[in-house]
Amino acid sequence: MKTIIQTFILLLVAVTFTLAQGFKVKASGEQTFNFEDKRNQLKFFSTTPLEDITGISNAVKGKVTLNVSDIKSMKGSISIPVSSIKTAIDLRDEHLQSENWLDAESYPEITFAIKSVSDIKVAADNKIEAMVTGDFTVKGVTKETIADVSITYLDASEQTKQFAPGDLLGVQAKFNILLSEFNVENMIVGQKVADNIEITATLRGSNAK
Amino acid sequence: MNSKQKSVILIGIILIAAVLAWWLISGGEILSKDGIWIEQEVSELDKALGLEPQKVYQEKFILVLVPHAAVFSGAILVISTVLFFIFRTKK
Repeated sequence: MKTIIQTFILLLVAVTFTLAQGFKVKASGEQTFNFEDKRNQLKFFSTTPLEDITGISNAVKGKVTLNVSDIKSMKGSISIPVSSIKTAIDLRDEHLQSENWLDAESYPEITFAIKSVSDIKVAADNKIEAMVTGDFTVKGVTKETIADVSITYLDASEQTKQFAPGDLLGVQAKFNILLSEFNVENMIVGQKVADNIEITATLRGSNAK
Repeated sequence: MNSKQKSVILIGIILIAAVLAWWLISGGEILSKDGIWIEQEVSELDKALGLEPQKVYQEKFILVLVPHAAVFSGAILVISTVLFFIFRTKK
């Protein structure tokens, strides 16, 4: 009986190890990457027949922890202050922060908190493409959102030092939200501002402590 | 300038004023930009990190008209000019 249980456990461990998809890089084990850097960017894009609007924030904050050999272990969150979004029109930025829009005073942050990782494709030893499900919070409303994400792991080198010490994680993510689902509803939504907003994240994180 | 020409100018001014009022009501002020986004070239490191080009903000004032407002105003101006010449007093 003992031998059967041992064999079963060994098989379970072997199957888990085989199914785990991760990076084949020098680093191993759990790594935490800090994404707080002004060069990181979150972009909001609205397109209507009247005009296209791009809103950008360079005030990204957040940390992501993952086991290098198992991308499914990825946890963490990324956020930006609503007040940091610039649309290239000062008056529009003011409107964006007002109560009718994102209400920056009552809800100062927009956040994406990672819940799970699925549809993992290993594109290269250090590059993984996956769908990342997370809780996206805008104006106090949280909705489960799925982001199309590409993650690249770079071991520390002379090249990575240009950005920061330590290993680097590059994250390119894209997802769409409906403003109406986040209680952002007024007569301009659907006219000059689309209800469907495309959000793109271009992030670099370092695991240097 | 005869009375017909005066009428053409008056009607033209009223119509253009109406179009501009409509432009202001529909957000003319907010469409004028205080800055522009310029796409940055991707660095070698960003390429290695699989990142797409980013945009950087540059301060620059641009007066933006609602396209319809510009088209209507232009059309009214052209029609008024043509009518002004058609209605001129022939000697």
